[in-house]
Amino acid sequence: MKTKLYIALCTFLLITACEKEIPTHYVYDSYAFSNVDPEGGNWKTTLISSPAQIVLAEPNAVNSAEYIAELTQLKSAQASLSQDVKNDMAYWTNNPVLRWNEIARELIAKYNLIPGPNDDGTYTLPNAANPAGPPPFPFAHPPYACRALAYLSVAQLDGLITAWHYKFKYNRVCAYVADQQVQNFFQPNAIPAYPSDEAVIATVSKEILSAMFPLEKDYLANLELKHIAAIKASGACVQSDVDAGVLIAKEIAKVALQRASSDGMKNAQAPKAIADSIKNDAFTRFGWSWSNQEIPQRPIGLTPLFGKVRMWNVPNIELVRPGPPPAIGSAAYEASIVELKEYAGNVTTERRRIANYWSDGLGTYTPPGHWNEIATGIIVDHRLNPIRSSRVMAYMNMAIMDGGISCWDAKYYYHYPRPIQNIPGFKTILGTPNFPAYTSGHSVFSSAAATMLGYFFPSQGSLFEQMAKEAAISRLYGGIHWTFDASAGLEQGKSVAQYTIEVAKRDGAE
Amino acid sequence: MRLDRLNSLECFSLMYLQFYKFIYLHPFLKREPVLYNCMVVVMLLGFSARQIQAQTPFDGIMMPKNNACVFAGYSTGSFNQYWEGSKLRKNETIATVTRKSYAWMAAVGIWENLNVYAGFPWIQTSSSEPNGGKLAGAEGLQDLELAVKYQLLNAKGKLGTTRAVATIDFTTPISNYLSDYQPYSLGLGAPQWTYQALVSHQFSNLIYVRANAAYVWRGNTQAERIYYYANGSHYSDWMDVPSAWNFGAAIGAYLLGDDLRLEASYSDFASQDGDDIRPYNASQPTNKVEATQVGFLLQYIPDFAKGFGLIATHHRTLEGRNTGKVNATSFGLTYQFSYRKNGTNHEN
Repeated sequence: MKTKLYIALCTFLLITACEKEIPTHYVYDSYAFSNVDPEGGNWKTTLISSPAQIVLAEPNAVNSAEYIAELTQLKSAQASLSQDVKNDMAYWTNNPVLRWNEIARELIAKYNLIPGPNDDGTYTLPNAANPAGPPPFPFAHPPYACRALAYLSVAQLDGLITAWHYKFKYNRVCAYVADQQVQNFFQPNAIPAYPSDEAVIATVSKEILSAMFPLEKDYLANLELKHIAAIKASGACVQSDVDAGVLIAKEIAKVALQRASSDGMKNAQAPKAIADSIKNDAFTRFGWSWSNQEIPQRPIGLTPLFGKVRMWNVPNIELVRPGPPPAIGSAAYEASIVELKEYAGNVTTERRRIANYWSDGLGTYTPPGHWNEIATGIIVDHRLNPIRSSRVMAYMNMAIMDGGISCWDAKYYYHYPRPIQNIPGFKTILGTPNFPAYTSGHSVFSSAAATMLGYFFPSQGSLFEQMAKEAAISRLYGGIHWTFDASAGLEQGKSVAQYTIEVAKRDGAE
Repeated sequence: MRLDRLNSLECFSLMYLQFYKFIYLHPFLKREPVLYNCMVVVMLLGFSARQIQAQTPFDGIMMPKNNACVFAGYSTGSFNQYWEGSKLRKNETIATVTRKSYAWMAAVGIWENLNVYAGFPWIQTSSSEPNGGKLAGAEGLQDLELAVKYQLLNAKGKLGTTRAVATIDFTTPISNYLSDYQPYSLGLGAPQWTYQALVSHQFSNLIYVRANAAYVWRGNTQAERIYYYANGSHYSDWMDVPSAWNFGAAIGAYLLGDDLRLEASYSDFASQDGDDIRPYNASQPTNKVEATQVGFLLQYIPDFAKGFGLIATHHRTLEGRNTGKVNATSFGLTYQFSYRKNGTNHEN
C-alpha cells in the first residue's frame, strides 16, 4: 500500500516539475541584419516632408577630445554592468522596433475592455479628458488599436529614415569600432552610430504610446529609461549618439501627434443624435438597420464616425466602399442563414479552433495586433534591419488602418443587422460586437495585412492569403457574421491595401 | 461505538475533495458548483456503501474488502451574480448561468483500509433567457476521476473513535471541451492532483466532527488562441491554472437508528495565485479563485431496499473571488454489493 502512495507522490512531483513556462514576450536575440540599407535616408517619409526638416549638427570626430571623453565614460560604465542592464540588453536587442510594437500590443490588450452598464442601466463612455474614468480611457477596440499601431509604426519609420539620413551623411562609426576596448554586446552591423537608431525607437515609441495610453505615461517613461540605459551599455553608441536619436524622436513624435489630434478620431464615437440619424438614413435607404442586442441595450454603436477618420493612402473613401449586401430575404441572405445554422449546429473541432484562433476579441490585442505579431515573426525570420522592419510595419499598419476606416464606413453606411438580430433563437460561440455586420472587420483587417505582407514577402504571399481567408470564415464559424460580410470584406481589404502598395512602390526602398 | 459507521467517515475525505474541487474550479461557473455538488454526491458513494454494509450483519466492520458501490447522481447549480475580483456583480450578458451534471462513479474496497474510486460526469451549461450575449452553452463529458483513499489511523478511546485518512485524487479531461469558454466551459481542461489529509472524530452519542486540508495542484490547460492577457501578455495557447488550498470542517449526526444522516459543512478554497476577472470581461482559467461555502447533506439508507441509499445535498456560496455566487442542489442513488462473497482478506 505504501509503495502505491509513494508512486503517486513521485508522479505528482514529476508532473509538477514538467509544467511549462509560458512566454510573456517574443523571444529573439540580437542578430546580424541581412542588409544595412545605406540608402535608407533617401526613402520617402510620411509625416515629415524630408529628413532635412529635422536639423542635426555634425557630431564631434572620433579623434576629438569630447568623443574620447564619451568613450571613457562608456568603458567605465561597461566595467561595472549590473545583471539587470545585461538582461535589458538581451530583452531590447538591436532591433527594438519589434519590442515596442509588442509593448503597444500589450497595452491594447490591457485596455481592450468594453465599458459595462452602470447600475441604472446607462452606459458611460471613456473620456480622453478624464482618462482615469471610470471607465478608463481608452477602450482599445479594433479601430483604436489599428490607429495606435499605425501612428507608432509610421513615426518609427520616419524617425529611422531621418536617423539613416544622418548616419550615412556623417558616418560616425560605432564606439566598439572606434575603440577596441569597448565591448559590443550585440551582433556587429556596419551601420554608423550617429544618431542612435535604437534611441530614436525608444523615445518616439514612448511618446506616441503615452499619447495613445495616457494612464501608462509613467510605465512607458520607465521603459524608455531602461531601454536607453541598455542602449548606452551595449557598446555601439556613446552619449551623443543617443542624445541625437532622442532629439529626432521628439521632433517626429510632435508631427505624428499633431496629425493624430486632427485626424477625426476624437469625433468617431458620435453622440446619440448623430448615431440615430445615421441609422435612420440607412433604414430609409435600404429598409433595414442594425440594433444592439445587449441587455441593457447600448444606445450607440462603436465609433459610428470612424469611417470619417483621415486615411493614409486612399484619396477618397468612396473609392473603396463595397457594393450593398444582399437584401434581407433575398436568396443570398437565405443561403447564408442555412450556412450559419449548419455551422452553429455542428461545431466541429476544426471550426471551433479556427473561430477561437482568430477571435482576437475583448481583452486581446485585436486583429490588427494579431497581424503585427505575425509580421514580427516574419521580420526576424528574414533578419531585417530596424529601418526595413519599420517599413514593413508602417505600410502594413497604414493599410490596416485604412482598411478599418473603409470597413467602418461600410458598416454604418449599410447598417446591416447581425445574425443574432435576424435569426430567431440563434446562438453563437463568439460574442457579437457592438457594431453593424457588413463588412466584417476581421476580414478587412486581415486581407489588408495579408496583402501588404504578401507584397513585402512574395514567396509567402499565398500563405498570408490563406490565413486571411481563414480569419474571414472564422467569423461565420463563430456565428457573428454573414457569408457576404466575409467575402466582401476580403475584397475590400485587398483593394484598400493596393493604394498603400502604390505608395510603397515609390518610396525609394526598392 | 459503531465502527462500521466510523469507517464510512473515511469517505468524507473524498467527498470534500470533490466538493471544493468542483465548486471552485472555476471563476464563474466554469466547472462549477453544480458539478461539484454532483461529485460530492458521487463521492458519498463510498460512504453509503459502508452504511449499507453496516446494516448487513454478516459483513460487520470488515465490509470494505470485496465490496463495491456504484453511484448515479444529478445536480444542478446556478448563479446570477459573480465576483469580478472582489466585487459582486450581475451581468445580463450571461443572465443566470446554470450547470447540470449527471455523474457516475464506482468505489471498490480493496483492503480494509484502502479504497479506490473511478468516475466521470456529463455536463450541460446554459444561460437563462433572455440574455444579452446569445452565447451557446456547452455539453459533454468532462473529466475522468481516479482516487485512492488510505486510512492512516483508527484509534478508539474513551471519548469515541478518531480516524485519519489520506487521499490522492487525479482528474484529467476525457473530451475535447474548451476550458477557455467561460462561464460555459465544462471544466478547467487541466490535469489535477489533489492531496488531502482528513481527521474525524466520532463521539459515542453518534455526533461526529471532521476537519480536512488539501493541496490542489493544477497543470496547464490548452486554449485555442495563441495570445492571452493575464496580468500581462502570454504568448502561448497554454494557460497556467493556479493551484490551490482547501480547508473544511463539518459536524453531523446519525438519527433514526442510523438510517438517516444529517451534516452541515463549511469550506474555504483559495487559489495560490492568478489574475482577477477584468471589468465586464469574461473569466478565464488563469483567474485567482476563492470561495467560502456552506453545505448541508442528508443521507437515507432505507431498511426496505437492501443495498440502496439516497443522498441529497445543498451548497451555498457565501463569499468569493472570481467565481459565481452559486447555489447548488444534488440528488444521488447508491447501490452497494459484495463482489466476492467468500473472498479472503489477505490483509489479515
